[in-house]
Amino acid sequence: MLMISPRMASGMQEKQYTPSLLSFFIYNPKFGPREGEEEKKILFYHPIEIEKNEKIRNVGLCEAIVQFTRTFCPTKPAKSLHTQKNRQFFHEPEENFWMVMIVRNPMVEKPNKDGKPPTVEYQEEEIIDSVYGSVLQQCYSMYKLFNGTFSRAFEAGGVELLTQKLEKFFYRYLQTLHLQSCDLLDVFGGISFFPLDKMTYLKIQSFVNRVEESLSLIKYTAFLYNDQLIWSGLEQEDMRILYKYLTTSLFPRHTEPELAGRDSPLRPEVAGNLLHYGRFLTGPANLKDPDAKFRFPRIFVNTEDSYEELHLIVYKAMSAAVCFMVNSAVDLSREFCEQLDSMVGPHLTLLASDICEQYNVNRRISGPEKEPQFKFIYFNHMNLAEKSTIHMRKTASVSLTSVHPDLMKILGDINCDFARVDEDEEIIVKAMTDYWVVGKKSDQRELYVILNQKNANLIEVNEEVKRLCATQFNNIFFLD
Amino acid sequence: MGDEYYLELSENPVQFENASSVNNVFFDEANKQVFAVRSGGATGVVVKGPDDKSSVAFRMDDKGEVKCIKFSLGNKILAVQRTTKSVDFINFIPDYPHLEFSHECKTKNASILGFCWTNWNEIVFVTDQGIEFYQVLPDKRTLKLLKSQSINVNWYMYCPETAVLLLSTTVQGNVLQPFAFKSATMSKMSKFEIELPAVPKPAKLSLSERDIAVATIYDQLYVMYLKHHSRTTNSPGAEVVLYHLPREGTCKKTHMLKLNTTGKFALNVVDNLVVVHHQSSQTSLIYDIKLRESDGNVNVHQPVLPARSINPFKIPLTGPAAAPSQAPVPCELYSSSWSVFQPDIIISASEGYLWYLQVKLQPTLNLLQDKGKLMDFLLRRRDCKMVILSVCSQMLIGGDKGNLSVVATVFDKLNQVYKEYLDAEQAYTAAMESGPSRSSTSYKRPVRTQAVIDQSDMYTHVLSDFTEKKDVKHKFIIAVLMEYIRSLNQFQIPVQHYLYELVIKTLVQHNLFYMLHQFLQYHVLSDSKPLACLLLSLESTYAPAHQLSLDMLKRLSTANDEIVEVLLSKQQVLAALRFIRSVGGHDNVSARKFLDAARQTNNTMLFYTIFRFFEQRNMRLRGNPGFNQGEHCEEHVVFFKETFGENALMKQATA
Amino acid sequence: MPDARMAADVHNKGVFWEVKNGNLAPSDRLRQDRSDSPTPGLVEGTEPGAGQEGAMFVHAQSFEDLTAVSESNTDDNSAEVGDSNLESAQEAALEGGEEESLEAEQEEVGKEEVQSRKKAKEEDVTSETWRSHRKHVFVLSEAGKPIYTRYGTEEALSSIMGVMMLLMSIVEDKKNIIRSIHADGYRVVFLRKSPLILVGVFQTNCSDRELTRELQYIYYQIVSLLTLTQLNHVFQHRQSYDLRRLLAGSEHLTDNLLRLLDRDPGLLLSAVMCLPLASSARDMVSSSLQAAKAKNLVFSILLAGNRLVTLVRKKDQFLHHMDLHLLFNLVGSSSSFRAGEGWTPICLPKFNPAGFFHAHISYLEPASDLCLILVSTDREDFFNLSDCKKRFLERLRRRNAYQSLQEALNMPSYPVSQVGIPELRHFVYKSKSSGLYTSPDLPAPYQGEEELERLMGLYQQLHSCLHNPTRLLRYIYRCADTENLYALVTSGFELYLCFSPLGTKSLAVSAVNKLLKWIRKEEDRLFILSPLTY
Repeated sequence: MLMISPRMASGMQEKQYTPSLLSFFIYNPKFGPREGEEEKKILFYHPIEIEKNEKIRNVGLCEAIVQFTRTFCPTKPAKSLHTQKNRQFFHEPEENFWMVMIVRNPMVEKPNKDGKPPTVEYQEEEIIDSVYGSVLQQCYSMYKLFNGTFSRAFEAGGVELLTQKLEKFFYRYLQTLHLQSCDLLDVFGGISFFPLDKMTYLKIQSFVNRVEESLSLIKYTAFLYNDQLIWSGLEQEDMRILYKYLTTSLFPRHTEPELAGRDSPLRPEVAGNLLHYGRFLTGPANLKDPDAKFRFPRIFVNTEDSYEELHLIVYKAMSAAVCFMVNSAVDLSREFCEQLDSMVGPHLTLLASDICEQYNVNRRISGPEKEPQFKFIYFNHMNLAEKSTIHMRKTASVSLTSVHPDLMKILGDINCDFARVDEDEEIIVKAMTDYWVVGKKSDQRELYVILNQKNANLIEVNEEVKRLCATQFNNIFFLD
Repeated sequence: MGDEYYLELSENPVQFENASSVNNVFFDEANKQVFAVRSGGATGVVVKGPDDKSSVAFRMDDKGEVKCIKFSLGNKILAVQRTTKSVDFINFIPDYPHLEFSHECKTKNASILGFCWTNWNEIVFVTDQGIEFYQVLPDKRTLKLLKSQSINVNWYMYCPETAVLLLSTTVQGNVLQPFAFKSATMSKMSKFEIELPAVPKPAKLSLSERDIAVATIYDQLYVMYLKHHSRTTNSPGAEVVLYHLPREGTCKKTHMLKLNTTGKFALNVVDNLVVVHHQSSQTSLIYDIKLRESDGNVNVHQPVLPARSINPFKIPLTGPAAAPSQAPVPCELYSSSWSVFQPDIIISASEGYLWYLQVKLQPTLNLLQDKGKLMDFLLRRRDCKMVILSVCSQMLIGGDKGNLSVVATVFDKLNQVYKEYLDAEQAYTAAMESGPSRSSTSYKRPVRTQAVIDQSDMYTHVLSDFTEKKDVKHKFIIAVLMEYIRSLNQFQIPVQHYLYELVIKTLVQHNLFYMLHQFLQYHVLSDSKPLACLLLSLESTYAPAHQLSLDMLKRLSTANDEIVEVLLSKQQVLAALRFIRSVGGHDNVSARKFLDAARQTNNTMLFYTIFRFFEQRNMRLRGNPGFNQGEHCEEHVVFFKETFGENALMKQATA
Repeated sequence: MPDARMAADVHNKGVFWEVKNGNLAPSDRLRQDRSDSPTPGLVEGTEPGAGQEGAMFVHAQSFEDLTAVSESNTDDNSAEVGDSNLESAQEAALEGGEEESLEAEQEEVGKEEVQSRKKAKEEDVTSETWRSHRKHVFVLSEAGKPIYTRYGTEEALSSIMGVMMLLMSIVEDKKNIIRSIHADGYRVVFLRKSPLILVGVFQTNCSDRELTRELQYIYYQIVSLLTLTQLNHVFQHRQSYDLRRLLAGSEHLTDNLLRLLDRDPGLLLSAVMCLPLASSARDMVSSSLQAAKAKNLVFSILLAGNRLVTLVRKKDQFLHHMDLHLLFNLVGSSSSFRAGEGWTPICLPKFNPAGFFHAHISYLEPASDLCLILVSTDREDFFNLSDCKKRFLERLRRRNAYQSLQEALNMPSYPVSQVGIPELRHFVYKSKSSGLYTSPDLPAPYQGEEELERLMGLYQQLHSCLHNPTRLLRYIYRCADTENLYALVTSGFELYLCFSPLGTKSLAVSAVNKLLKWIRKEEDRLFILSPLTY
C-alpha cells in the first residue's frame, strides 16, 4: 500500500519543495503601544537576522489583521492568513500574548528551456490550517511545560526574563519542528495506550501505589511501555504534552535497539538476586560515579489552578519507563536516587518482563500480522486515545506514513468537516486515485479508514469498515 | 494486660462433689462423664455429663472399692471394676432386669489394668498380658468373646474419638502398639517406637503414660510425647514430639514443639492448637502445627504467642456454707490437684469442677505483630470471622497502619481461602447438576467455615467505613481498594459491582475523573448494568461518563433497550433509531415513542424524518403508509399535516 | 503494480478534466450510444440530457475557466461582434452618455427592491445584526474607495474598506498575494480584479475557491453594466473616481445576484435549468423563435422565471452560461420590464468584456412569467427586435403552441416522488455536455428560505470537495443528522442527491441507477436536446 510520490513518478525534471518554516515570532501589543516603540512589542523573533523594521512591519501586519477581523466578530479574531506564497498562523495563548508562525507553501520549480529562470508554482491548497494551527499551539504547550506561563515569567522578571526564557527554549525547539511531516496526528495530539490485560494492569497499579507510598516525595507517576502510556497520575492535558515530549524527544535519544520493544522474559534467578536493567533517563547518568553532577528537568503542571512546579524523574527498565514527579522545592540527593534505583529497579525489571510476556501471549492469540486491505487512524477526544496503522513510527524527526500525502490531506479535509459541527457524521469518498477514504465521527470518537479496493462499491466499502469496527473496536459504542 | 489472656476456662463448669475419703471421683473420657461414688456406691453414685440431661444418679451395693467405672455409649450398660480379675455389669436399658452380673478375664492369672467401651455393647479388657474384646449380651447377662490378643502391656491409653487403643509394651515401655476398633472388629495397626532422651541401663520401664497423650489435630490422629529435658542431649528445654498415626501405614514422627523450659507440663488440644501448660511458671503456650508448612521431615515449632497464664477464674461460693453477700473467690490455676484430659478438659477433683479449655482470639491481635502470620493463624480457628475483620480494619485505619504490601498479603490470604470455598461449592453444584447417575463419589456440600470472608463481609465490616474516614489520605484509600480488587482478580474471583461503586464514589469525591477513566479503559472495573447507570448519573459532573456508560452497555450486549433509552433521553432520536436498526429491532419499536421524542426536540426536520421512516415501515409491513389505531399516533399525523401539508404525507401507491 | 499507476493518476489530475470542445461530436454517434439505463461510467455526450446538435453554451467546467484569465476568449469573439459596439462603448465613456442609458432603468427600478435596499442600508455597521449576516460583499476601487456593500452604507464602511485595501497592498509589497483570512466560523476572501477589489466575508464552510467564484460573479455583474474597457478608462482618468456615480441604481442587481448565488444551483454548477416541456411543444417554440430573426440578432432567449424555455443563437456564436445568468439576473431583479418592452445596453463579459450588446426585454404577457430576450449588436435595433417579437408571437398563436406553453408554466416543475424512491428528498443532475441541469421541486421540509439556503450550502460544499483541484474526488457520501448526501462526478455528468438521514448506503447506490434511468426516460421533456440556430 506504500506509494511513491507522484512527482518522482512523472518523468520531468521538476523540483518539489515541501512546506518550511519562514518565521516564528511572539509579541505583546501592550508592551510598545506608543509610536516608535513598536520594537518593544517583540518578545521573540525567528530568524534573528531579520532587519528590525522588517520585523516591526510583519508584526504590524498581524496586529492589523487581528484588529480587522474583530470588526466582523470581536470575540473570534483571525486564526490564519492565506497568501499565495505562505500561510500565517495566529495564536493568543495568554491574553495579549500572540504567537505567529509563517509557513511557506510547498512549491514546484519547473525548469524552462533555453536558459530562462525556472518558473515557481506555489501549491496553495496543500497546507491544512488545522494541522499547522495545532503545531503552533503545541509550541506553546511545550514551552509552558518546561517554563510555565508567559505572564508568570513576566511577573517574576519582567520582559528581560521572559525574552531570555523564550530565546533559550525556542532557539532549540524550532529546529525540532519538522513541518513537512505534520499531519492529522498533530491535530489530535493524542496518546497511544498500550493494550494490556486487566491482571497485568492491576499489577502495575499496585506497583505505582507502593512506590508512591514508600517514597512519599513522589506526587505523580506515569507508567509507559514501548512508548505507549499505561497509567498517568497527571491530569489529561498535562499528560498529553508530557507524552509528546517523552515519545518524540526523550525516548528517541535513549533507545537501545537490542532491548526496545522485545525484552525477553527474565529467568527467575535473575529476578531473585538484585541484578536489574533499571536506569535514569533524566538526572544521574551513572549512579556509580559519586561526584558526577546531575539535575532533573523541571516541569509545570496544573497551570490553570494550583500551578505546580515539579522535578521530572524518568526511570527506565527495558521497555518499561516510569515518570516520577516530585515537588521541585525539595532538591533530590544522590541518596534519594540510589534509594529509588534499588527499590524500583528490580521490581520494574520484573514487571517489564511480565508485561512483555503477556503482550506476546496476546499477540500469539491474535495471530500473525498480515498486511490488511485497510489502514486506519482512530482518535477519541474523551481520553485522547489514539491508534494509527498508517504511521510506522512518529518521532519529532520522522513521521513515516505508509500512504500517499494526498490521501493524508483528504483525511485532513474530512477532519475539518467533522470539527465544524458537533454531531455524529460519516463521510465516504472515493479519490481519483481509486482509493476509498472513510471518516466516521461518533460521540467524540473519530475513525479514518483508507481502503485500497478500486473496484469495491460504496456498499462493499461500508461492509469492510463494519468488519474493521467489529474486530478493532467491538468493545466500544460506535453508531452505525 | 488484662486483654492478653488468650486462654480461658469455660464460663459454667460442670460441678460435682469434690473427692474425699468417702467420695471417689472417676472421669470417663469417652462420655466425658464424672462419677462421684460415695462409699462404694452404697450411698449413691452421681454421674455428671457435659450437659445436665446426661447426668444420672443411682445406688449400687458396696462390693468393695471401685477401681474403674464407665457407662457404655448412651448410658446403656454400666461397667464397674472392683478386682483385678473381673468386671461387673449393670443393665441400664429400660425394662431389662436391673441386676448385676460379673465377668472374669479369660487369660489365667492375668490382672486387668482396665477396660474401655468401644460401642454401646462392645468392651475391651486390657490386662497385663493382652487385650480381650467382648460383646455384652445384656438380656443373657453374659459376654461373648469377639477377639483377643496376648501381648505384654505396661499401660494403655484409649482415644474415644477414633476408637484407637494404645498399648505400651516392651521393658522400657516405649514401643507403642495401637489397635483400632470398629463395630465388632479389632484391627492391629503397625506399632512404633518413641525415641527416649536416654536409654537407661539396666533397661527399666522409662516411658510413663503421664508423658503421652493422644488427640486428633486437623482431623489427624497424633500421639503426643512430652519429652523431658535431659542433660545428655544439649536441648535447652523440654519438647513435645508429635507422632502422626495414620489409619493405614506406619506412624511417623512429624512435629517437634519447643517448650524452651523445663518442669511439669500438661497438654491439651483446643481448636486444633496444642496447648502446653507449665505448672511452675503458671503459664501456657500454644502451638499451631500448620503454621509451618510441612517440608517432609520433622517440623520444629516455636510457640505462636508469648507464654500467658489462663484467664483468672472466680468460683462463686455455693452451698449452705456460702452467704449470698460473699464475693466469689479466685480459683487456683495450675493447681497440683488439677488433672488434664484430652482434648480440652481440665478437672479439679479437690474443688469438684470440670472445665473446658477455650482459646480467646481477640488478644492475639496485639500479641502477634506479623500480620501475615496472624492471618494464617486466625484463618484456622473456629470463631475467627469477626476477629479477622477487625484485624483488617485495624491495619487500614488503626494507629499501626500496615503498609500496602502487608495489606496485599493479608488480602491474598483471605481470598485464597475464599477461592477454595468457591471452587468446592462450584464442584459440588456441578456434581449435583450432572445428576445422581455420575455422582458415584457421593458429594457432600462443602461447609462454609468462618474463615471464608467474602466480598460483602469485607464491604460491610471494613471497606465501607474505611472509605468514609476523613483522616485517611484518599490516595491510600484508592490504593487499598485497588489492592483488594487486584487480589480478587488474581484468584479469579468475580468482583461484585458494589466494590466498583466504592472505587468510583471515592474517585468522584476527589475529582479524580481521569483516573476513573483509565480504570474503565482497561476494564479494571468490569461491566454491569448497575455500573453503567452509575456512570450515566455522573455525566453532569464528568461529560465523558456518558460515552463510557454507552460503551459498557454495548459490551454487555444485552442492554439494547437501555441504549435506546439513553439516546432518547439525550434527544438523540436519530441515533437511537439508527442503532436499533443496526441490531435489527426497528420493525418492533413503538412508532409513538420515537415520534414523541422527535416532537419534544422541536426540530421539525427531525420530526419529518422520523415520521416518514415509520410511514415507510407501515408501507413495508402492511402495504399502507397509515398508522394503526393501536399505535396512537393520531396527534402526530395531525401535527405532520399542519406543519408540512396534506400532500407531504406518503402516497398510498408509490411508483 | 497499482502504486505506479495510481501515482500517475495523481499526477495528471488536471488533465483528467480537460474536456476539449470535441464534445460537439457527430450527433449520430451519440445517438446510438444513448443507453436507456445509463450507468455512471458512460462517456461524455451520451449522458442523459446531452445535447444532440451540440451545446448552445461555451463549454464551461464549473469554474475552471472562470478562474482563468477571462480576457483569453475576448479577442476571438470580438471579431464577430464588430467594432461598432467597441466604438459605441468608447464614445459612450467619453460623453459620459452611458449614465442616461442607465438612468432609463434607474427610474424603472421596482418599488420593492428599493424597499429591501433601504432596509439593508439603514443598518448600523457596528451592530450585532450587521455582523450576523452570512455573506458580506464589498467592492472597492484600487484607491480604496467604496463602490458597493451588501449591508450598511458605503460611507459608514469606507474606513474598513480602507483597511482592506491596506492589507492587500502590504502583502503585495512582498511580491505576494493575499487570498483570505480564516477565523472561527467565518472567513474573509480577497479578490483583485483590476481596477476593482472585491472582498467577501462569509460564514460558510465552502472552499475559498467557491467564494472567489462568487466574487467573480459580482465582478462580471459590474462589468456587464459598464464593460471592462469603460471601467479601466474611468480609473485611468481618475484613480480616486467614485464609481458609484456610474452604478447608482444598479445595486439591487448585485443584491439579487447574491441572492441567486445562495439559492440557484445553476450558478454553482455553471448550468441552466429548462422548463419541463413536451419536446414537440418546445420544438415548435424554438422553431418559431428561429423564424423570427433579424440581421443583427445574436441570441433569442425565452425564459420562464429562472428556467430556460429555449434559446436560439446565431450560427457559431456561443453564449456563456454565466452571461446567461447575468441576463436572468437582470430580468429577475427588476419588475420594470413587465411595464412594456425594455431596451437596455448590456455587456456580456464572458462573450466580450469590451463592448455592449443591446437587449430587447419584454414579457409575452404582462401577467405571465414568459420573458423574451432578444440580443442585438446594434444600439439602433429596438424596432426591428420589437418586430421580431411580434412575428414570434403570431407564429406561436397560429400553431397554438402558446396554450401548451402556458400550461407547462402553470404546473410546478415536478415532485421528486415521480422518481419513486421514498427516501430520496431532492437531487440536482447536470449534463456536462449540454450545460443543462434538472432538479425537482423542493420537498416540504426544505421550503422556506433558511432550509433552502442550507441545502444549497450543502450542495456547494460537496461541489467544492469534488472539484478541489489538488485532491479530486469521484464520489462523496455524507451521512449526517439532517440528511444523507451523495454526490458523484463522471466525465459525463454531475449528480447530487439528498436522502433522508435514515437512508442507507445500498439504497443510495441503487437510487443513482434508478434515477439515471428515470432521467433518460424523461430527458426530452427535461432538457433541450436539439438547440437551434439561425
